[in-house]
Amino acid sequence: MSAIGELSTMTRRKGPMTKEEKKANGRDNKAAYIFLLPWLVGLVAITVGPMLMSLYLSFTDYNLLQPPEWVGLDNFVRMFGDARLHNSLRVTFTYVLVGVPLQLAVALLIALVLDKGLRGLPFYRSIFYLPSLLGGSVAVAILWKQIFGTTGLVNQVLAMVGIEGPGWISDPSTALGSIILLHVWTFGAPMIIFLAGLRQIPNMYYEAAEVDGATTLQRFWRITLPLLSPIIFFNLVLQIIGSFPSFTQAFIVSGGNGGPSDSTMFFTLYLYQKGFGQFDMGYASAMAWVLLVIIGVFTAINFIASKYWVFYDD
Amino acid sequence: MPAQPKGEAVALATTGAPRRTKRRLRASALVAATAAAVLALTACGGGSEAKSADGKVELRFAWWGGDKRAQVTQAAIAAFEAENPNIKIKPEYGDWSGYWDKLATQVAANDAPDIIQMDEKYITEYSTRGALLDLSKYKIDTSKLDAAALDAGKSEKGLTGIAAGINAATILANPAVFKAAGVALPDDKTWTWEDFERISAEVTAKSPKGTYGAAAYGTDEASLGVWLRQNGKSLYTDDGKLGFEPSDIAQWWSFLKELSEKKAVPSASEVVEAEAAPLDQSGLATGKNGLAFWWSNQLPALEKAAGGELQILRFPSKTGKAADAKLWYKASQFWSASSRTKHPEETAKFIDFLTNNVKAGEALLADRGVYPNSDVRDAIAPKLAKADVKVVTFIDQIKGELGDAPAAPPKGAGAIQEIVKRYTSEVLFNRLSTDEAGKKAVDEMKSAIS
Repeated sequence: MSAIGELSTMTRRKGPMTKEEKKANGRDNKAAYIFLLPWLVGLVAITVGPMLMSLYLSFTDYNLLQPPEWVGLDNFVRMFGDARLHNSLRVTFTYVLVGVPLQLAVALLIALVLDKGLRGLPFYRSIFYLPSLLGGSVAVAILWKQIFGTTGLVNQVLAMVGIEGPGWISDPSTALGSIILLHVWTFGAPMIIFLAGLRQIPNMYYEAAEVDGATTLQRFWRITLPLLSPIIFFNLVLQIIGSFPSFTQAFIVSGGNGGPSDSTMFFTLYLYQKGFGQFDMGYASAMAWVLLVIIGVFTAINFIASKYWVFYDD
Repeated sequence: MPAQPKGEAVALATTGAPRRTKRRLRASALVAATAAAVLALTACGGGSEAKSADGKVELRFAWWGGDKRAQVTQAAIAAFEAENPNIKIKPEYGDWSGYWDKLATQVAANDAPDIIQMDEKYITEYSTRGALLDLSKYKIDTSKLDAAALDAGKSEKGLTGIAAGINAATILANPAVFKAAGVALPDDKTWTWEDFERISAEVTAKSPKGTYGAAAYGTDEASLGVWLRQNGKSLYTDDGKLGFEPSDIAQWWSFLKELSEKKAVPSASEVVEAEAAPLDQSGLATGKNGLAFWWSNQLPALEKAAGGELQILRFPSKTGKAADAKLWYKASQFWSASSRTKHPEETAKFIDFLTNNVKAGEALLADRGVYPNSDVRDAIAPKLAKADVKVVTFIDQIKGELGDAPAAPPKGAGAIQEIVKRYTSEVLFNRLSTDEAGKKAVDEMKSAIS
């Protein structure tokens, strides 16, 4: 049993509390809330408040300069006829549905290699984790832009073997792929979680399987994958939720316009353009809520589907 | 196993929270919410407090532009503060693209800067929505301004902007690129678009790989405006509609495709990359383009970046006559003020200083275009650097050749550049035919400015 399990049994009480205990408990709680106050203030002031505001704005025509005007469902209705919005959904779905599985596959692969008991494991772990820390940053997006430019590093290497590469970032057919690659490259966070999961799989299963003459591949399919499935599920949920609202990479790599030809126009980037570039904040707010619903639906699907493939060993 | 049954986690969260403490929880939440509200209120109050501790009036002044502009503007601010010790000007400046996002947000948050550098693409948007101050109601001397420059800042809401400088759309040439290719610079008084194509293609052919005769147009609407004017159309009409048909813009793109096929301009990918480059890394400044489309006031900054001399050329025309190039004087930028400024008098005083005071002129010189105030223009003439003189001379030279003043960009015109840019790349990458792009672009533009 893990630490959290033990903790919960320890704190679970039998029978009602005495008066003194209740009093002490209340004092404790009060102290806790006082310590939580800075966080609570932040939550209300910079998360819940603006969220409610944006919910209200999504039903209005709001151009930032004049007071919002109530228009009911108008913004949502307009979305059906907005071809650029449909395109941005296509781009975002491609990014999530290709990028996330690919990233998890790479993360699992590297975790499997590192789990083999490499010498200097902490070192490699840190090295592989590094991109995760940097990947979402503006600096790396700029670097990416340089590396994949027409005269960037990638094309210079290709030129050595006589291939004239395209402008990866500036060609509509490869631009999104380059950004997905950037996402895959930030596999460090799920890798660390996979690594921890692999460590939890008891060795006896493998030993037993080996005695029975199972091949490496069989051991992977029959032991590692099923026992790791809760971790895969966890990573999948987390990454999907995290990938839908991606913004920074596309914003920097495309210079803020989702180009070339809207090929990297992420949903959030279009939202930003609508709200701040075209003075259509009501519509942008409505888009934000649509994104929330999309993420909610995907997460729900994930949880429902998990019943069929996630295996809890207890 | 690391995965926990969900029940346990819930148990953990709820144990030790009996009913009484729940009530307390609610009370604490209330306290927290109040604290948050108070914090938010004080934060707002702090932002709009415009008098500093020593009783000085503090004004915020926002502009877009690069390092050079920041330097000269700071010098002008210092000159103003020396004359007006009770007013303090706080500068806020940044890039063109970020500038507009920030300004829109600031205005929405009731936190707009007092003095705002405005562009013609956005001035109607802001003024019709009541965000800009009618400057004619305050003490600003406009008697020395050129009439055309003054009119450009007038709208239905009064005088909401005062021209900061006069500009013209130009083609800048990098003589070093021409010299290296062994091609003579074109004569801009007689050249046609065919000459432009031929000369550019020749420069590309005789230059090392990666260097092109000309930069591609199509990354903003200014060059489209010139093209339309030469064909008897215009970007906008006086009543705020689009002044052209899908076929007009399709024609413009067809010629661009022709230029691209003859390699007179860079490849589609290179064009997209060039769009994102800042001024000092532009193809003209780095010697990768022989010709490029810029505003006249950008020459000094570009020369500095290029590390060599550049030459200003008129646009080519259809006929080879300079008068048919149909150029015009544009207000490079406007000085506008927030309608919600707490200190309209002081704000007006500063704008008056920028417009009419020779000291401001001596600091700003020609960075924002040729000074629209004729007195200041004459007074600072001896102080101008060589590059500035070139700009002023060019603006003087074309005076007799100008076409009619174009209609002011209507509300929503800020979105046009992005539409032009996007469909230009659709065309260059052969994803849309020029006709399709023309139709779609015009549809989008119409809905943007309606």
